[in-house]
Amino acid sequence: MSALVEVRDLVKYFPVRGGILQRKVADVKAVDGISFDINAGEVLGLVGESGCGKTTTGRLLLRLVEPTSGQITFDGSDLLAMRPRQLKATRAQIQIVFQDPYASLDPRLPISEIIGEGLSNHGMKDRRQREATVAEILEKVGLRRYYVNRYPHEFSGGQRQRIGLARALVLRPKFVVADEPVSALDVSIQSQVLNLMAELKDEFGLTYLFISHNLGVVQHVSDRVAVMYLGKIVELADSVDLYRSPKHPYTQALLSAVPVPNPHEKPQRVILSGDVPSPINTPAGCRFHTRCPLARAVCSEVQPALELKARGHLAACHFS
Amino acid sequence: MVKAVDGIDLQLRPGGTLGLVGESGCGKSVTALSILRLLPRSGHIVGGRILFGGQDLAVAGEDEMREIRGNAISMIFQEPMTSLNPVFTVGDQVAEVIRQHLHLSERETRSRVVEMFELVGIPDPAIRVRDYPHQLSGGMRQRVMIAIALACNPRVLIADEPTTALDVTIQAQILELMRELQRRNRMAIILITHDLGVIAEMAEEVAVMYAGKLVEYGTVDQIFDTPMHPYTQGLLASIPSLVARGRPLSTITGTVPHPLNLPPGCLFAPRCPRAFERCPTAFPARMEQGDGHDVACYLYGDRAEASA
Repeated sequence: MSALVEVRDLVKYFPVRGGILQRKVADVKAVDGISFDINAGEVLGLVGESGCGKTTTGRLLLRLVEPTSGQITFDGSDLLAMRPRQLKATRAQIQIVFQDPYASLDPRLPISEIIGEGLSNHGMKDRRQREATVAEILEKVGLRRYYVNRYPHEFSGGQRQRIGLARALVLRPKFVVADEPVSALDVSIQSQVLNLMAELKDEFGLTYLFISHNLGVVQHVSDRVAVMYLGKIVELADSVDLYRSPKHPYTQALLSAVPVPNPHEKPQRVILSGDVPSPINTPAGCRFHTRCPLARAVCSEVQPALELKARGHLAACHFS
Repeated sequence: MVKAVDGIDLQLRPGGTLGLVGESGCGKSVTALSILRLLPRSGHIVGGRILFGGQDLAVAGEDEMREIRGNAISMIFQEPMTSLNPVFTVGDQVAEVIRQHLHLSERETRSRVVEMFELVGIPDPAIRVRDYPHQLSGGMRQRVMIAIALACNPRVLIADEPTTALDVTIQAQILELMRELQRRNRMAIILITHDLGVIAEMAEEVAVMYAGKLVEYGTVDQIFDTPMHPYTQGLLASIPSLVARGRPLSTITGTVPHPLNLPPGCLFAPRCPRAFERCPTAFPARMEQGDGHDVACYLYGDRAEASA
């Protein structure tokens, strides 16, 4: 399998300004040196808790946020070196689906324009042709053709997320960043949208970066999974491997914390003490050492590298 | 008129945990707010009784309710940021409920606040009481909410999605805390959540709600091992898991009906894979299946009736 997306040492700091002159006083280290590949046709799951940098990572891959440093290669070309015209053309290949289906659709535009806007931006000027393309994609995501003239408020959460998918897919992209696509939906609707995403992936030959804090959902959809903690990837492995034998103590704690929908199974829970430290003052050494049940002296001094611990299984820990 | 909750019968044993589960708009929060008579002005209890130790809360006077709220029955809400007042310190907000109900001296009140902070596991309690809500993390804010709720040793705690806004590792901490405090204070909990994992872990009895109606009621083992209502079965089947990896998830087709446009008869019938002619005629009565397992569905007869 070849890599469709290659990320190397990607860093994004957001400046924190303060004082009368609004000088930069600190950095929020949202993403702090991460590297990974996404193979063509695979689903890479990206999990972690609030503030770990998973959403920023997704936006960096579309250059919706400009990185501080690092490299992103998409389909063989350097995404960060692209000039505006080339970037625009490439963006037709990279699309995003957002979390909140209520906030991500313009309430003043009918569905036809929400979905068709990308088409006209990318050169499909003929209105008839655009309408036909929009109607076709609507059917693909399981909505009726005659919905095109309706406005977002006329749809339920699940239907809006289908509209979000239609908007992402109408340009026939190769790669879709799905940022918490089902988090705002009820369980029964969530499974409908997840099934649809799987069908569309097969039909259009898509590659997904699937960002979510819901470990059950990520397990279900992903081929491989990366776990982030405070701007770093702490573990990256085949999905089955990661859930069966997590190597990093953070992943272990995270997985053990998920409530199991089975009253007979009482999981051996690793309860972490305390909260996630601030991404402004990240701990020295291993970022997780302040909460880690296995931490020793070396952990607060030396930052562990993301290394191969087993076949296809990377983890960043001195003791795994 | 929207019938947000329609004819719900529930019982909570002293010291027990009742889980209330269902999707958005099923009426689980309205049920909880009704118990404390905290419904918005537009909402009314048009029928039914809410018995608490012999007293009917549905018709109790406003003064009596003030005496009960935060004292004998208290509540924690989903969003700890919006349910705390941003312009008062968190210590003041815990002190308010103590002043209202316990009538302690100012010094005793203050030491009780610090004691509560310690109890819910907030580090450096004597310092943190002076913080404002925005200075605390989501998990810490939810601990403050729990401190407020538990300050007067309530006999019933209503927890409305208490961990939904929190990360899983923090959720694990808060659930553990609730369990421990329940053991210590012998208090009963009504836990409202859409997360079946949380229900499996915390609840002893479970009520499943759909579109304002109770559709199934039973012990946690009955609900998870032998779910009877097609809606409960559908909910359990649509949880993503390792077993089903790569295969399509089972789904419930369609969407929850709008409360102003409810279907006739059984409200779940239009989405139900096992619906038949009788379903749209009238909403099925709650039928006993033995051992406290009840279901409102025409697929099952009433055991109690059949044997009579």
